[in-house]
Amino acid sequence: MPPKKVPQKTGKLDPVWAKPEDLKKPETVSERTQRRVNLSTPYHGKDLNDLTPEELKIYSHTNLIKPISEGKISLSVKAEREFWKFVNKEKLPIRHVRDNYDWGKDKNGKDIASYTIEELNQRKIKQARYRALSLFSRQFVHLRDQAKRQETELAEIEIEEERKRRREMAALKKELYGELTAKLVQDPVYDDIIPIPMEEPESALARIAYPDFYAEAISYLRAVMAGEEYTPRCLRITEHVISMNPAHYTVWLYRFKIIQVLDLPVPNEIEWLNEVALNNLKNYQIWHHRQLLLDYYYPKIADDDEAVRKLAKSEIDFVNQILAEDTKNYHVWSYRQDIVAKLGIWTVAELGSTQNMIEDDVRNNSAWSHRFYLVFSDPGQSTKDALPTEHDPKVPAIIIERELKYTRDKILLSPQNQSSWNYLRGVLRKAGRGMSTEEGFASQFAECSGEGGEKVTSSHALEMLADASVETGNVEKATLCFTRLAKTWDPIREGYWQYRISQLKEQ
Amino acid sequence: MKSQAHHKRSRPKAIFIRKYPSKKTNNSNSNSNSKCTMAATASQTSAAQNAAYDIPELYRMRPAVVDALETDSSAMQQDTIEECLPFLLGEEDLGPRNVHGIPLLDKQRHLNFLRKQLGPLPGAFMAADPSRPWFFYWCLAAMSLLGEDVAFYREKLVETVRPMQNATGGFAGGQGQMSHLATTYATILSLALVGGEAAYDVVDRKSMWHWLGSLKQPDGGFQMAIGGEEDVRGAYCQTYEGGISAKPSVEAHGAYAFCALGCLSIIDSPHRGIPRHLDLPRLISWLSSRQYAPEGGFSGRTNKLVDGCYSHWVGGCWPLIEASISGPQEGFAAEAATPATEARSLFSRNGLIRYILCCCQDLSKRGGMRDKPSKNSDAYHSCYVLSGLSLAQHKWTMKSARLDATVLGSDEWVVTPYLEGQQIFSEDDRLATTHPVYVIPQHKADDIRDYFVNKAGF
Repeated sequence: MPPKKVPQKTGKLDPVWAKPEDLKKPETVSERTQRRVNLSTPYHGKDLNDLTPEELKIYSHTNLIKPISEGKISLSVKAEREFWKFVNKEKLPIRHVRDNYDWGKDKNGKDIASYTIEELNQRKIKQARYRALSLFSRQFVHLRDQAKRQETELAEIEIEEERKRRREMAALKKELYGELTAKLVQDPVYDDIIPIPMEEPESALARIAYPDFYAEAISYLRAVMAGEEYTPRCLRITEHVISMNPAHYTVWLYRFKIIQVLDLPVPNEIEWLNEVALNNLKNYQIWHHRQLLLDYYYPKIADDDEAVRKLAKSEIDFVNQILAEDTKNYHVWSYRQDIVAKLGIWTVAELGSTQNMIEDDVRNNSAWSHRFYLVFSDPGQSTKDALPTEHDPKVPAIIIERELKYTRDKILLSPQNQSSWNYLRGVLRKAGRGMSTEEGFASQFAECSGEGGEKVTSSHALEMLADASVETGNVEKATLCFTRLAKTWDPIREGYWQYRISQLKEQ
Repeated sequence: MKSQAHHKRSRPKAIFIRKYPSKKTNNSNSNSNSKCTMAATASQTSAAQNAAYDIPELYRMRPAVVDALETDSSAMQQDTIEECLPFLLGEEDLGPRNVHGIPLLDKQRHLNFLRKQLGPLPGAFMAADPSRPWFFYWCLAAMSLLGEDVAFYREKLVETVRPMQNATGGFAGGQGQMSHLATTYATILSLALVGGEAAYDVVDRKSMWHWLGSLKQPDGGFQMAIGGEEDVRGAYCQTYEGGISAKPSVEAHGAYAFCALGCLSIIDSPHRGIPRHLDLPRLISWLSSRQYAPEGGFSGRTNKLVDGCYSHWVGGCWPLIEASISGPQEGFAAEAATPATEARSLFSRNGLIRYILCCCQDLSKRGGMRDKPSKNSDAYHSCYVLSGLSLAQHKWTMKSARLDATVLGSDEWVVTPYLEGQQIFSEDDRLATTHPVYVIPQHKADDIRDYFVNKAGF
């Protein structure tokens, strides 16, 4: 940069000891500080013994005027006029800038002293903005408290403005100092809650270093729960906690209580819950919450067939959506059974929808289990509370035949699929029929000759042949089948097959 | 041995081809043919590769019968077999292996992992906030199995769980949370594990008694928390498959099987309680179907995959099942137990031990036990995998039973090393034992019981 004429322009005011480099325009904050120090402190850094008499005179004059320029001694008007005349004439510095001033560091650990002047100015503007906002914010709190005393409330628009203000303050705080403002303190709605932070000894086992946002949310949750508060703002706290940790069972139970107390519309809650469920497929609390909601909601619409049908459809649709992502999700299938019973979804459509899942993956045992439930717990065609493992004479023969045929078809498709064989056994139990009634069918997948060339395309068929032989008292054949299973066709279960053989001997 | 294992890593990766026998060329009746081809390929290759190890064919090959039809379930099953085989066959470097192809149990590494899990945890464990008592139980139980004296943790545990107890009874997952049966169960077991009056006296028995009463439902089950769900962790429901489900008529699941059998074995002696409420033959058949080859481990449901944790949930059912079949063995003397007097095992201990030591150990710097090789180790799996390993190494016998159901929990169990057949693990790798019902060391269960039996009032 070419030398500027600045020193000449302001030359009149420059102290006599000013060096040319002290008069250049500074680029950074630290440069500016250094120059100010140099200009305001005569012969800065020099040993007094090294000063010329002239310099020493200026130095001592400068120190002598200090008490007056700093206002520690007051003079008469006339004397003061004389004083300033002299100071100007001698070009004595009247302000003394402190050396080694610490500007501090910004959020990135950068020394503010290394900022350019422009950068510092920008920062100062933001700091001023923050201070101004703080003032408004304090005023808001004051006005609100005043309103409270007069038993009125501030307008929602004012609360919303404060909310915006705090968001801006939080953003400024983060930008200027790298400090994060927890989420809930940004909302004036929570101002009167005194959070209960978790206090644990350092040595606590499996102590989790909770992220600040979570720690804040949980401490507010504890506070409102302890105060047994059930209000919309608490509902929002639960939502906030759930968004961070849906496994938190307590927050779900509390949320349900709030819904009950405020009598909030369940369809809205379910809509919100759908989103949460889709983002947390393996979560279990979500489904229990949903079940509680339904238990609570159903009685309100129980008399309205149309409403029940609509709810049943939307619930099954959503369950299907989840199961499409996660076909064997235990909690979802469990919930599905709950709503079938509660909403009376013993329908052809439900059977068909389950069947589709079996068609997609004939080894989906969850779908088979649901089918068993749909068929054999349907109050229209089964005995109430009959155990899944016992004969139920109330199940119509036509249903038994339909199920047997369906299962046999699926076994033909995939003979080594244990799901369908287990289902077949289940149906036979319900029908009060023995395994021997399926001996003919099973024998197309397994022969039990005990010879090397025997053909087995299903070890489960061989097991059924063995059980059929046990039933008919053919111990010899049963023993042979079990032996073949143990030795060749299902040897990981050898211990079990040997046990079955030992049981035959006892009989 | 180690260098051999290294050397083996460069094997042609083709013991089992990913593809199923072609659907185009085989109809569904040609399974047995395709099986023969597969078997031949497998035994040739593995014979060449693993001559050094004595690994039974069962754990080297695909099952004897496999369907041609491919679905999502069978594809995942096939992937799992492929994932496990290199570990089972000795191709994966797991350090030295014995003649059976079994690597050592790296106790020190796993202990280090567990100690860390009990130490300060990073924010990523936030989701564990409501289940911290489980961490105490999993880690302390697993450490006990590895032979560590966990009494060292008594003071810390007491200080940690005290504020998790609610004045209205029961222990929550953390401070300011609601009491829950699962976290209460985990807390009580943890207190029993560290032992001592200071630990026992943390429990406010009177308020807990009231709380438990308030959870009880008209159908005999228990809610898990006030307003919480009710499932078999408080009751039992057998399904058409013979297994046990969380609620009536839901799918049978291994974890609920253990809960139900454990519960029945607490209410009455297993030989009375279990057959009275359950169809025992169907249950045994279903439990036995949970073990797969070649993996050797247990699955939790029909057509689902093996997972190390079922070593306990399903594996832990066997001692209770055996006791319910045999009843009390009055004349049984632990010292006199010889292979000749031992009944054969209802499940394959060889298979389970293989799966655990080959597939479930994380032998990286991290340590700990896991679901399967592709999964990360954690405290939960460490506890239940080791518990499964211990029960596979030992035999529990119910020596005498309580007179009737009104006498709570006074069945006498004795444990001996399991002696039938060849021992495939190194004797150094034998774990401590764990009570078949309470899943903590027997003397710890006895101690806490004696303490409260002798205590007057609450």
